[in-house]
Amino acid sequence: MNFLQFLKYRGPEILKLTGEHMKITGVAVFLAILVGVPLGIYITKNKKVTNIILNIANTFQTLPSLALFGLIIPIMGIGFKPAIFVLFLYALLPIIKNTCIGINSIEPSIIEAGRGMGMTHSQILKMVEIPMALPIIMGGIRISTVINIGTATIAALIGAGGLGDFIFKGISMGNNNLILAGAIPTALLAISVDFILGLVEKKLTPYGLKNTQ
Amino acid sequence: MIELKNVTKSFDGKNKVVKNLNLKIEKGEFVVLIGESGCGKTTTMKMINLLEKPTKGDIFIDGENVKDKDLMELRRNIGYVIQKVGLFPHMTIGENIELVPTLKKWSKEDKKARAFELLELMDLPAEDFYYRYPSELSGGQQQRIGIARALAVNPEIILMDEPFSALDPITREKLQDEMTSLQDELGKTIVFVTHDMDEALKLADKIAVVKDGEVIQFDTPEEILKNPKNDFVEYFFGKDRMWKTPEMLLARDIMKKKFGKIGINGSLARAIEIMKERETDTLIVVDREGEKKQRPVGVVTRNMIMKNNSHSVKMKEIMASSADLIVDENTNMVEVLNIMSKANFRSIPIVNKDKFLVGAITPISLLNIITEISPSIEGGE
Repeated sequence: MNFLQFLKYRGPEILKLTGEHMKITGVAVFLAILVGVPLGIYITKNKKVTNIILNIANTFQTLPSLALFGLIIPIMGIGFKPAIFVLFLYALLPIIKNTCIGINSIEPSIIEAGRGMGMTHSQILKMVEIPMALPIIMGGIRISTVINIGTATIAALIGAGGLGDFIFKGISMGNNNLILAGAIPTALLAISVDFILGLVEKKLTPYGLKNTQ
Repeated sequence: MIELKNVTKSFDGKNKVVKNLNLKIEKGEFVVLIGESGCGKTTTMKMINLLEKPTKGDIFIDGENVKDKDLMELRRNIGYVIQKVGLFPHMTIGENIELVPTLKKWSKEDKKARAFELLELMDLPAEDFYYRYPSELSGGQQQRIGIARALAVNPEIILMDEPFSALDPITREKLQDEMTSLQDELGKTIVFVTHDMDEALKLADKIAVVKDGEVIQFDTPEEILKNPKNDFVEYFFGKDRMWKTPEMLLARDIMKKKFGKIGINGSLARAIEIMKERETDTLIVVDREGEKKQRPVGVVTRNMIMKNNSHSVKMKEIMASSADLIVDENTNMVEVLNIMSKANFRSIPIVNKDKFLVGAITPISLLNIITEISPSIEGGE
């Protein structure tokens, strides 16, 4: 059976796993945005905790993904939830870091002007800091997502499903078609998501900031 | 009116950046705070809109303590212009100018009308600039927008923190000139921080010289130049500053209060007598003799007298009219020099605002003032 025949035969299954894969990464990144962006903003306002938070997020990033999945099994067992949790931890650092960098890179005089004109902290955040930092925050989300699409293949090991299923089955059965059926969609998914999020990033860059960069 | 009463500011609880500072700024006054960097001038200014909170002391605006006001409302009602402009790069020029009106929840139409009005005031074509972004503007244009933004809700008070010091000299001078005419038009109470003496002298109604967190001298530019309170002020503004800015020197500073004059009905003999007594060859002819309130009517010179041998002739018959020559005591030295160079006489009468004679300027008085203010001559080189 050649690869094309294989694809025809296993097509529906590939689609199902791709869907699962997107779901795992999507939920993990979504949760990471919910936690990471506010956390990133918070640490710009409290310089003391900046390093603590960034170091913690850094540690998770440094742990080998396989080890982290292994560590999580005794605590959360196997399946969808622990996989999401591990991927969430991986997605966190780029989002926190970029949010923090995005806000800190704003010229202090701009913030001073805002304060001097009588803007409250939340007005400065909503009207100035977030809009100006948005392209950089979006960049962090993009990196997180792309990394996570790759890492999510390993989540198959703890029974979370996704395209990793094909890859690991293929390896254990010595079936190249199976391996490719998992690897190629994963790669395509990463590339296309990166491209789409790149467009979103560009779209979110305020016109006035485009000329200066 | 802004009043700072015994204001002290310390950031670390030990070193006082501002020490027990008192300052009273009248409504409509353009006050420049000047001093070396780190002297506390900017901190003093920032305490007015509570960007810095005073450690001790009170600040009053129109008799009301700023502490008792709503902080955000206080700041929105005080224009604020900074050196780095601080325009929001992601907003259009229009949105930038409309910022405080937006915070104050003005209607869209009102905001736009006001922004257009301000752009026109700043000599920037509104139709075009309203939709542009800060990064598309030159430094000078950006600071014009910065000023327009500060004027948006027509505040009584405007704080300006070295607004022109980052601009090139030509643009800076242009904006200073614009600021002067703008102030003539609007009559705001302006607190302006700078370390540039020329800028201070050019713009200020009153200058506060700040050193080590204290106001050393608070006075008009003329007074500071003429009567510096201590060596620091004199050194800071430079001894030769007066020489470089003759506009600061007024006729009443140069004029002699004792000079040869004669009544309109005085005789030739009396004129010669006074000339001898005063060692001068020019007399000012006044409308009546021996009284305090005299008006100058003419000038008589030795040549005019020599042409007439009759001792009975009266001054009014031989004098030259001084109608074109009469100079107000508040005329500056540059203009005085212009008038003197055009006049044929060596003495010109100076009058006060009621047109009464108060003094005369002669070449000798000019020479005196030059020796006084020019450092090189004084140095005896």
